[in-house]
Amino acid sequence: MSNESVAISVKNVTKQFKVFLDKGTSLKEKVLFRKRNRYENRVVLNDISLEIKKGEAVGLVGHNGCGKSTLLKLMTRILYPDQGTIEVTGRVSSLLELGAGFHPDMSGRENIYTNASIFGLTKKEIDARLDDIIAFSELEDFIDNPVRTYSSGMYMRLAFSVAINVDADVLLVDEILAVGDANFQAKCFAKMQEIKARGTTIVIVSHSLSQIEQICDRSIWIHDGKIEMDGIPRDVHPAYMDFMGKLRKAQLAKERGEEPEEEEEKTEEEKKRWGNGDARITRVAVLDDSGKENNVIRVGDPCSIKLDYEVSSKVTDAVFGIGIFRADGLNIYGSNTRIDGCRVYDIEKGGSLTIKIPSTAMLSGRYTVDLAIESGHGLPVDYWKGACEIETYSNNGDVGACRIAHEWHFTDPGLSDIR
Amino acid sequence: MFKEIYNYRQMISSMVRKDLRGRYKGSVLGFLWTFINPLLQLVVYNMVFSIILRNNIEKFYLYLFVALIPWIFFSASLTGGSVSIISQKDLVKKIYFPREVIPISYVTSSFVNMLLSFVVVIAVVLFAGVRPDPLGIICLPVIMLVEYVLCLGMAMITSAVTVYFRDLEHILGIIAMAWMYLTPIVYSEDMCPERYRVFLHLNPMTSIVAGYRDVLYWGTVPKLATLGEALLLGIVFLVIGCLVFGRLKKHFAEEL
Repeated sequence: MSNESVAISVKNVTKQFKVFLDKGTSLKEKVLFRKRNRYENRVVLNDISLEIKKGEAVGLVGHNGCGKSTLLKLMTRILYPDQGTIEVTGRVSSLLELGAGFHPDMSGRENIYTNASIFGLTKKEIDARLDDIIAFSELEDFIDNPVRTYSSGMYMRLAFSVAINVDADVLLVDEILAVGDANFQAKCFAKMQEIKARGTTIVIVSHSLSQIEQICDRSIWIHDGKIEMDGIPRDVHPAYMDFMGKLRKAQLAKERGEEPEEEEEKTEEEKKRWGNGDARITRVAVLDDSGKENNVIRVGDPCSIKLDYEVSSKVTDAVFGIGIFRADGLNIYGSNTRIDGCRVYDIEKGGSLTIKIPSTAMLSGRYTVDLAIESGHGLPVDYWKGACEIETYSNNGDVGACRIAHEWHFTDPGLSDIR
Repeated sequence: MFKEIYNYRQMISSMVRKDLRGRYKGSVLGFLWTFINPLLQLVVYNMVFSIILRNNIEKFYLYLFVALIPWIFFSASLTGGSVSIISQKDLVKKIYFPREVIPISYVTSSFVNMLLSFVVVIAVVLFAGVRPDPLGIICLPVIMLVEYVLCLGMAMITSAVTVYFRDLEHILGIIAMAWMYLTPIVYSEDMCPERYRVFLHLNPMTSIVAGYRDVLYWGTVPKLATLGEALLLGIVFLVIGCLVFGRLKKHFAEEL
């Protein structure tokens, strides 16, 4: 019945926890204070079904307590569903906890054996991976020292190296990719990409949407124990961010004692646009070299994007952002005023902004441009997906996504007079 | 299930090693305690039962010792085994592995501890001038294995139940003490009134202790009936243990 290409199949899974209002675990308490054992059933997952194919990388997003971690724990079989079934095929490695079973007095090497054994590896299998693990952790010089002498960064590096080298068919990761310094993190990501390329199924729970976007090709947004949205990260995440922004705004309004605003149904056009509406981009234009409105630009020529905006309610620490996407969805480039270190300011009145591009780098094709205004907390104020289009053409045969400025310098004197 | 546990054999062996190494960590005498502890217990029991509460058993110290060491293993599995899962709750809550690994590791490490104590037992046996039957010596590992099966069954039951019912840990302290006096360890089976003797045989430890004594005290070969009875009871407890554990293990992570 089950398809061979399915790695994880979740069917009608419901999971509820008993939340004891005042729990007694001992005999005396159980017998004497019967009434105290009142509890509420909290439904964490409500009749969820989903299938994850082999080799797919999936991110689970949702606000705190939405059930995404519970779902991950069900997949690892730490928890069992109350109703429904979960089937996972192949060896599972879960990076829910790093350094499980580490003993501070044992050396790094011994701890590799202990820790890897918890993932179900035999001694032979660990022997075969030992060099890789040590090399990946960059702890060659310290591997025979007791783990208690390690810094916390070294500790996590060792733990991560073990977990990532298990060679599982299914890798489940919970919020742990923030390990070590920037260099090591980059390495972890590269390793995740490599694992993914090898055909490992990956499921990641993270609050960092950019982490998920870097690794996953599918994103599932879970809300109150149900699947709210399931699709490519670029579609799911903006909707999720929009929802979170509204939630935050409603919260703030509540704190101020105001009634939350009624939400209107969105039209198809509005789905491309979201944000709390405190400020709004009113007009967008692509200008060519001469300052005329023209969105067909030759590769290498300057162009600029001019936008006008209106403000209905003051936006503090406003950040303006731009994202350029190729027709197939590839994000060619993205940046914002915060990334570029521009001066931060609050916007109170409408105004306009011009983004100048001295040399249009995108090679021939059609590109869509997303423009956004965010407030300092990272909440979308006005995110406009596909605010404008740019079409580029080239009289040059170079290939790729972008033209990178380059020169050819020969040092062989024999070539100097060839013209 | 068995195949899965077999796949996790490296985890069992590393947990056993960690437990044995960590057990006497930081103490001056370290691993020597494995030998000193049972010897000191022997001195206390011997003082009480051959000087104050006198009995007419010949070489009482040996009679006691060959039963006491296996009893310590059993009682450790019963009481220590009960908290084995609770004490590993960080692992249970965060990582999947066959939960059976925990009681198996605990019982195995106690078993290894008993084997090490047997170095002292054999020394005392030889010192007392007992010449064990060679066939009896061959039977010794069989008795040990039977005891291991029984201990594992007990540890599976107590470890799983204690997760849901924490009082069991303390109740078991009393049960273990009572159980010891209901097993012919500090006395012989004949000292028990005839009509109660049948109850002694419902106790799986009675025949196991008898087996050890046959080999190491009497220097004979244990009776097949004794071994069979012990094995039967051991298997019964292990099966009950597996069933109880299998039912309860699914909600460990939530209860801890």
